[in-house]
Amino acid sequence: MDNRPVPRSRTGAVPHLLQLACLFLACSSQLLMVEANSWWSLGLTPIQRPEMYIIGAQPLCSQLSGLSQSQRKLCQLYQDHMSYIGDGARTGIKECQYQFRQRRWNCSTVDNTSVFGRVMHIASRETAFTYAISAAGVVNAISRACREGELSTCGCSRAARPRDLPRDWLWGGCGDNVHYGYRFAREFVDGKEREKNYPRGTKEHARILMNLHNNEAGRQAVYNQAHVACKCHGVSGSCSLKTCWLQLADFRRVGEFLKEKYDSAAAMQIGRKGKLELKDKRFNNPTAEDMVYIDPSPDYCLRNETTGSLGTHGRYCNKTSEGMDGCELMCCGRGYDQFKTYKHERCHCKFHWCCYVKCKRCTTLVDQFVCK
Amino acid sequence: MAGAIIENMSTKKLVIVGVTLLLFQALAFMVGGLIAPGPTSAIEYLATKCVDGIKHRQESKWLMPWGPQQCEKLQNFEEAMAKRIEANNIVFAVHIPMPGNEMSPWFQFILVILQLDIMFKMNNQIEEGAVVTIDVSLAYRDDLFSEWTEMAHSFEHRNLNCNFTAAKTIENEGRQYDCDALPFMEVGSVAHKYYLINIRLPVNERKKINIGIGEIRDIRLVGIHQNGGFTKVWFAMKTFLTPSILIIMIWYWRRITLMTRPPVLLEKVIFALGISMTFINIPVEWFSVGFNWTWMLLFGDIRQGIFYSMLLSFWIIFCGEHLMDQSERNRFSVYWKQVGPIVFGSFCLFIFDMCERGVQLTNPFYSIWASDIGTELAMSFIIVAGICACLYFLFLCFMVFQVFRNISGKRTSLPAMSKARRLHYEGLIFRFKFLMLVSLLILDVLVLMICFVCVGDGGATSGEDIQLTTTITHADGPTEIYKMTGKEAQE
Repeated sequence: MDNRPVPRSRTGAVPHLLQLACLFLACSSQLLMVEANSWWSLGLTPIQRPEMYIIGAQPLCSQLSGLSQSQRKLCQLYQDHMSYIGDGARTGIKECQYQFRQRRWNCSTVDNTSVFGRVMHIASRETAFTYAISAAGVVNAISRACREGELSTCGCSRAARPRDLPRDWLWGGCGDNVHYGYRFAREFVDGKEREKNYPRGTKEHARILMNLHNNEAGRQAVYNQAHVACKCHGVSGSCSLKTCWLQLADFRRVGEFLKEKYDSAAAMQIGRKGKLELKDKRFNNPTAEDMVYIDPSPDYCLRNETTGSLGTHGRYCNKTSEGMDGCELMCCGRGYDQFKTYKHERCHCKFHWCCYVKCKRCTTLVDQFVCK
Repeated sequence: MAGAIIENMSTKKLVIVGVTLLLFQALAFMVGGLIAPGPTSAIEYLATKCVDGIKHRQESKWLMPWGPQQCEKLQNFEEAMAKRIEANNIVFAVHIPMPGNEMSPWFQFILVILQLDIMFKMNNQIEEGAVVTIDVSLAYRDDLFSEWTEMAHSFEHRNLNCNFTAAKTIENEGRQYDCDALPFMEVGSVAHKYYLINIRLPVNERKKINIGIGEIRDIRLVGIHQNGGFTKVWFAMKTFLTPSILIIMIWYWRRITLMTRPPVLLEKVIFALGISMTFINIPVEWFSVGFNWTWMLLFGDIRQGIFYSMLLSFWIIFCGEHLMDQSERNRFSVYWKQVGPIVFGSFCLFIFDMCERGVQLTNPFYSIWASDIGTELAMSFIIVAGICACLYFLFLCFMVFQVFRNISGKRTSLPAMSKARRLHYEGLIFRFKFLMLVSLLILDVLVLMICFVCVGDGGATSGEDIQLTTTITHADGPTEIYKMTGKEAQE
């Protein structure tokens, strides 16, 4: 059963005055350092497959909202990649929601343009995770599309392609799709950060460094979870000849790996040389695989328009659990409402490997708990 | 023994010969490491899920994953569920190679393995001993616009060997099983430019076909082929080496026939070794570029088998002829005990190879490992061959031990002998020790190489690529030197 709450819209009972005030606050304190739009929105609005856009190159890229200047340029060069970037963003967001389904902040999307809302303006752990997992999603999706033969520039084709790809097909073959996915994701995802120009040592610059680091951590996670598979094929199947290749892991594993990195993320601050350095020097410096954050997380318990926190009001919780999904922690001590509901489940099913399920419908009465 | 040069040869000449051979070896290594690319490439293909609509059936039975006439695609099976498409109407299509590339005869072979991505579902788990039945067909064409021509079509069974690492709870639904890669296809020549594979997984509840195989999410194929560049360098080396070996061999045999006495057994064996090496070196593979000879892989296996059994026999006979225990050998039949296991073991491997690659000539999807009986049969062949190898090794070790014992025995009695006899024995000892040293060195190199090849799991770095390349290009390089040294020694 789906226990996730539906994304709530921002408008509603909130008075206009508050909205204005918060807009003002946003302008003054945050200096609008993160634009409202993000390429993540590609994951929420379905993108038409590129076949229909072969003639008119411009419309697709200008229609897509949330692209920065350099991303738009990449879009024009590699139009067929865009729908896969959308797929990547979508899998990233879904995985984020799965990994955080039992936490106070549950990665819920707010609207189609800013996607996660104002929480992303805070350079917190959660922001770090979101950047990492969406970058990982793009690597995953692009290299998947490569293997499906959907991208014209992927692998070894002679058409325009990123530099220093492996040697010619006939001479040495070329099949490292993960590499291509990684490189394209770096160009695309980091492009947005790289085009901004802030003086060194400022808060905005620190934030850019943080985003770049976390994007890289996400991309590396895909590599890290990939494993080398090999096949022996010598005389009589002996191992005198052996071929190995890189095999991508299930994205759930990437998500779990990143969740671990989220738990061990390093708190940073901007140093004197304009580089990020550890807040607490006793710890080891973070590697490229580790996540970094600058600000502490906001309070996700209560709805707060300034931070963008949605609060945990109305979230389902588990009465018996002592973890984060338990009612005590989830509802931040505000207590919970209890009600009974019918849960419909499929049971005694007969399955085929695909597309065929013949089930009976079983109904049980269950207790549900919802945070006040 | 008349005409044994190595005993009389000055150290200087010996060093020159050794250095020249080493230089050749180094050159071969350089070519393998610097010029040639990695021996093989693996390309991963993700099968496109096509809908085999009843209405399209008349047009063409081949479904293309991409390109102008691509099939009606599904992104995932939830979509199929929504559209009420059944499992029997889903075709997994894979085009080899990727768009924009074409295959070439220089690739020598295509080997494809199959990997199933199966999702864990509480209600739909993989049953114990599940078997997948695949209806698979292979087609080719030589330009992008002509019709596909069928090459093979078969129903195959593969045993699913999957395990689920996490706990089987509702929490872990949606994770994937870890499934072993399954052997899928092997084609011994790449005569066409484009290949298309269409895979169906038909479901029949009454006959229990494809029931209890879990929820399949994706089918992945990994296509392995030899690299064109590697093939070219390899052919070039073979073409260069064959005449040189031939010339040496002819010269060698002429020298022997010029002598008054008939050739001794050891000389004959060295000559036979030379012939088998020439046989393995003759670049008949050139023909595979022009002709569609699918049996080339099998032929290559047979040639390698002959060469290795010849080499093993040579070692035994070489040791035996140096035993120095007065008894007259010089006959092949004396060595039946030692050579027997070699012949028997090679024969077992030959039968196994015929069962695997031989059948693949007619059905490229056949694999002896796919069925339980086949696996047992194959394993028994391999085990018998392994036992033979152990036996052989024991015999060889015993013989080497005997030789060393006799040598030390002779050493003590050397000063008491007449000068002619002493020189003869000293020569024998020197020659044997020299060759033993060389062969030990070569064995070391071989073992090292095998280690390098086998420790490839850590991650394929460029260093390993070079190692692999050199191994494959020059697996017979050391033996080459070996044989030449042997000849020199025999002079």
